[in-house]
Amino acid sequence: MTDMRELFERQAAWQASRRDLSWPEKVRMAEAIRESVIRLRNMRSIDSGSDRAE
Amino acid sequence: MKLVAQLLNEMRTAGIIADYALFGAVAQMRYTEPVATLDADVLVAVPAPDRLDVLAPLYQFCITRGYNPEGDAVRVGAWPVQFIPTFSRLTGEALARADTADFEGVPLRVVRADYLAVIALSVGRAKDFTRILALLESGSVGVDRIAELAAQHGLADAWQRFRTRFLND
Repeated sequence: MTDMRELFERQAAWQASRRDLSWPEKVRMAEAIRESVIRLRNMRSIDSGSDRAE
Repeated sequence: MKLVAQLLNEMRTAGIIADYALFGAVAQMRYTEPVATLDADVLVAVPAPDRLDVLAPLYQFCITRGYNPEGDAVRVGAWPVQFIPTFSRLTGEALARADTADFEGVPLRVVRADYLAVIALSVGRAKDFTRILALLESGSVGVDRIAELAAQHGLADAWQRFRTRFLND
């Protein structure tokens, strides 16, 4: 339980550190996330036999 | 996003739009940690809001600048941009009272945290509730301010339901 609590506390601290970044930096991170999300969606649509992404 | 800011400012200077402000997830990130989003949402006030093709002049302006439509959006650099005309008294007020932020040296208008929260409350999907919680967690807006603004826009009951469901009071 203590390990789990420490894990959550580390995660919360990490999230807070992301919050303190500048807005442009956060938007650049979102751009990188976005490309990954699109790639994952495309992979999923290929796996399911669909020929178009959502 | 800098390209988006430059385009929006050009549109306003040219009179294609009367005003604009980012809202949605990209605006939220000004106040919270980064979040995943596929596009950038922009509230716009247009000079002739009663036209049936209200967004046609915006799209035409984008095309002349080399930015082409892509589905319901216009691709500007890395971002598909969705233009959304103000659709309620709440969104009109959010636009009128938006902040002008600095985005890498370019002015970029962005909806304030309190209005982002109450617009999310009015839409009411799961991801909108997540947005409200993230804004509260960031300290960029408090429960009292949301309650006040929600009441001004007929959303007092929705806010009370949100509080009961998510804030344990």
